[in-house]
Amino acid sequence: MAANSTLIWASLLFAIAIAIGTAFRFLSGRGHRVKTSESIDLSRLKVTKNGVLVTEFGKKATLVQFSTEYCGQCPGVRRSLSQLEYRHGSLLYIDVDITDRLDLAAHFSISQTPTVFILDGLGEIKFRIGGVPKYAIIRAELEKLGAL
Amino acid sequence: MTELKRIDPRGPRFGAAITSVFAIIAFGFSLDTWIYAWLILWLLFALFALSVFGKNITHPYSYLFQKFVRPRLAAPAELEDPRPPHFAQQVGLSFAVFGVISGFVWPLGVTIAATFIFLAAFLNAFFGLCLGCQMYLGLRRIGLLRQ
Repeated sequence: MAANSTLIWASLLFAIAIAIGTAFRFLSGRGHRVKTSESIDLSRLKVTKNGVLVTEFGKKATLVQFSTEYCGQCPGVRRSLSQLEYRHGSLLYIDVDITDRLDLAAHFSISQTPTVFILDGLGEIKFRIGGVPKYAIIRAELEKLGAL
Repeated sequence: MTELKRIDPRGPRFGAAITSVFAIIAFGFSLDTWIYAWLILWLLFALFALSVFGKNITHPYSYLFQKFVRPRLAAPAELEDPRPPHFAQQVGLSFAVFGVISGFVWPLGVTIAATFIFLAAFLNAFFGLCLGCQMYLGLRRIGLLRQ
């Protein structure tokens, strides 16, 4: 086969890889609205925050992040979301480590970490984002809930 | 859980960049003088096998990274758990094994293996999308993986 067509095939493969990567960049972290009206049961999550068991949702909204110990990008997301919580009183942020709680991962169909849920004031799941979230989207959803 | 030494996430990505160069060269040769492609897959096989099984051996990639790349970079923002990248290397190894074996009987298999290795390595290196890492939690959930 001519060297030319080899180059064309290789460039084509290269272009496909770039297309996949760009699509991933664009799509990941955007999330989607959740239609089923499922409320989160805090007594089941058993999350502690600063050593205290969390028993109440945020007044207007709650951000629930699911992390694992082996997740490289979780700590960065944790920092950003904590900052957001710090600035807004009616917002609660909790981080759930599901490394050894695969039952939770299965229950919420979580296949990647970080995954972030946005809950309303009653703890109902309104929005979910898989992968590192795009913060503008989180802000927009929180604004809808009146938490910002 | 046992303490694992956390690693600079740019290390595996640097390695993936080199792998992706080897893989696309292999892909090109596999359409032409495929015997060269097969030889490159043997090399990739050795490199993957070394990172999967060579516990105490310094991998050439990590030698290059630590010696020439790391000193020129700022401190990493985040360290990461070595398990998902390690798992990704196992996935890479299985593709390399497939390519090396099919080289004996089915040259097209070499092209297929080179294609997948290239895609996975390239996406990891240049987009930070680690396919193996993405699959990790899902595979553990359905019980295919122990930690």
